[in-house]
Amino acid sequence: MSAVSEIAARKEVIVCAGAGGVGKTTVAAAVGLRAAAEGKKVAVLTIDPARRLATSLGLKELGNDPSRVSPRRFSSAGIDMRGELYAMMLDTKSTFDEVVMRYAPSDEQAETILANRLYRNIAGTLSGTQEYMAMEKLYELHAAGGYDLIVIDTPPTRNALDFLDAPRRMTDFLDSRVLKWLILPYTRAGGGIFRMANAAATTFLRVVKRIVGSEVLQDTAEFFANLQGMYDGFKQRAREVAQLLQSDATSFIVVTSPAADSVAEATFFSSRLNEAGLPFGALVVNRVHPRLGDPIAVRPRVLQRLERGDGEERLLAKLLDNYEAFMRVVSLEEKNLAALARRVPKHCWVRVPYLEREAVDLPGLWAVSEQLFDGPADA
Amino acid sequence: MELDDFLGPRIIIVSGKGGVGKTTVSAALAIVAARRGRKVCITEVDRKGTLAKLFDSEPLTYEPSEMSPNVWGIHIEPGDALAEYLDVQYHMKRISWVFTTTHFLDIITTTAPGFKDILVLGKVWYLEQGRTRSAVKHSFDNVIVDAPAAGHMLSFLESPKGLTDALRVGPIRRQAEWLVDMVTDPHRTKVHLVTLPEEMPVIETLETSEALRRRLGIRSGAIFVNAVYSELLSKQERSLLAEIRSAGRTAELAKVAARVGLDLEEEDVDALVGYERFLEARRSIQARHLRALRRGTEEPVVTLPFLFSAGLALPDIETLADALEKEIEAL
Ligand SMILES: Nc1ncnc2c1ncn2[C@@H]1O[C@H](COP(=O)(O)OP(=O)(O)OP(=O)(O)O)[C@@H](O)[C@H]1O
Ligand SMILES: Nc1ncnc2c1ncn2[C@@H]1O[C@H](COP(=O)(O)OP(=O)(O)O)[C@@H](O)[C@H]1O
Ligand SMILES: [Mg+2]
Ligand SMILES: [Mg+2]
Repeated sequence: MSAVSEIAARKEVIVCAGAGGVGKTTVAAAVGLRAAAEGKKVAVLTIDPARRLATSLGLKELGNDPSRVSPRRFSSAGIDMRGELYAMMLDTKSTFDEVVMRYAPSDEQAETILANRLYRNIAGTLSGTQEYMAMEKLYELHAAGGYDLIVIDTPPTRNALDFLDAPRRMTDFLDSRVLKWLILPYTRAGGGIFRMANAAATTFLRVVKRIVGSEVLQDTAEFFANLQGMYDGFKQRAREVAQLLQSDATSFIVVTSPAADSVAEATFFSSRLNEAGLPFGALVVNRVHPRLGDPIAVRPRVLQRLERGDGEERLLAKLLDNYEAFMRVVSLEEKNLAALARRVPKHCWVRVPYLEREAVDLPGLWAVSEQLFDGPADA
Repeated sequence: MELDDFLGPRIIIVSGKGGVGKTTVSAALAIVAARRGRKVCITEVDRKGTLAKLFDSEPLTYEPSEMSPNVWGIHIEPGDALAEYLDVQYHMKRISWVFTTTHFLDIITTTAPGFKDILVLGKVWYLEQGRTRSAVKHSFDNVIVDAPAAGHMLSFLESPKGLTDALRVGPIRRQAEWLVDMVTDPHRTKVHLVTLPEEMPVIETLETSEALRRRLGIRSGAIFVNAVYSELLSKQERSLLAEIRSAGRTAELAKVAARVGLDLEEEDVDALVGYERFLEARRSIQARHLRALRRGTEEPVVTLPFLFSAGLALPDIETLADALEKEIEAL
């Protein structure tokens, strides 16, 4: 039984994390598909699916609630679907709207925030927002309790760690001293701190004003002053999410490619999960060039003779050359993965080869899921 | 196209989504330029250090350093660029920790989205003008910007414009206008896009190219499609192999090998043809995405080969530079 099939059978929440482009969305969708096929009611929360993948799942647009993938799609793909699969593409902006409406002390304040000129920008630029909103959605779906399993994809951060730190980064920012200085003129309680931090605060405000101008400064300060009533709600929710993620109900799948960069990141990420008390479930190495055989030693002289030979001989020379090239890539990938092997126990590894087809339709996803669930524990 | 024309605009922005090969292409372009006796500076914005590793040189700093003959490199940290900006514009030295904390930048970025990008572009502009923070003067023939993947490259380029719209007044506006002039002037700046022959990268590249034109009024330069598998077999060889395969005679390849004294087992032959099949399968997928790209754009498309190498190093960059020269000259 592979590590992935084990957690898919036992857990309520699976988080797929890793650097951008390694296949997180593909893995999340494949895990969800397979778990549903085996009889569960599963929701897959994707962030940025490839177009054709979204189409295959019947996702036409961003939505804020999972919608059921029509059973007909499975039968026409030859998949025996015993459970139910739901999928959604996260819409950060409208999740943020929901959050504002939920946590604002009054409807009036919610309106003010949603109407602020800066709000639109902030929903996209405040660092960590997308990650925060993904977590928010996850929590909400889990708390509502409608699914046996929720599989969540993570935003395409450049760096897998950004995702872990995001909720804290966002609340840290909201809590930061400089932000307090900014909104000081708009809060009544500010007096005491203001005197203490006076010199620094004044310099700070002067510089910001110089750079952005006083009009923008004022808009911003007002915006954050309004947001203040909601901080406690934000932080409370960030704590609850952290608890859910650390609980026994959750497991993380770290997805990596065999490229040096992403292996280094996965290595670091795995140890960070550990430090943060987050349950590591499986390591998926995706898009591995398959090793098809043993090295073939060909002396240069032999190769030269083939290259100068007849049609068949030249064909053979090229095949040997190509073979040697692929074997070079295979050993590079193995070398890259060696460091990770020292950190992650063998039974947690799952390798998914670089498929000869694209994993953007249901049969393609199914092929990935077979590797994830039934593939050898380690090659 | 003449290489010198291609390298004509002093500022060359190389952009694309994460991991497609921006740094690799930037380095190869720098080599192409250096071979023609030009002095170039590559600017690195992320903290990965890939560039220095490629050239096997010390990590880059905010002060240009020479990585290989005529190829210089600089690392632009928004905090450093902010300090230089405050110094140049307001004669403020780095007076307080406040201005170097990330939260300070976060606030500015929140109030004025794209501000970090402005800082980076501002530094590029300083470099174009030949200014550095230290007393050492440099005059670069090309400044190659290895543009950040984070955020979208469009917002990176659009930021001065976004700012000029958002900040109708305000001191940063003048600065932003200079930068808009810089990036929209085809004689000063060219934006090239790097992509992979895969679905999402192609779609995003087409969108970016279109948005550049529509929103900024700039034509993107070349679209570099990186890591394209080269053709292995000629047409005759392919049909010969197909014939052997369909007749179930692959074992005969072992006999061919035996003629030159090479001993191949059955498994070896299977593996040999297995990789050929894998390559062909991936090549046809790539070809489909390449066609979609070519159909969707009028900009010149330049392909770069996938290199089967144990980790790219300078010799590989030279190989890619050779390929670039040929492809650009053929445009
Ligand atoms: N033509 C090529 N053939 C084979 N490998 C390549 C090629 N181009 C790039 N690579 C490899 O792909 C990986 C990504 O390349 P690179 O670092 O240049 O991308 P990037 O766009 O700068 O990435 P990032 O967005 O992370 O900065 C590297 O490991 C590099 O060695
Ligand atoms: N094992 C695989 N074999 C072949 N193609 C794959 C495989 N895994 C992913 N892909 C393809 O790689 C691309 C990137 O995958 P995606 O899941 O969108 O990455 P991420 O979500 O990490 O950014 C997609 O086009 C996907 O179809
Ligand atoms: Mg994704
Ligand atoms: Mg790079």
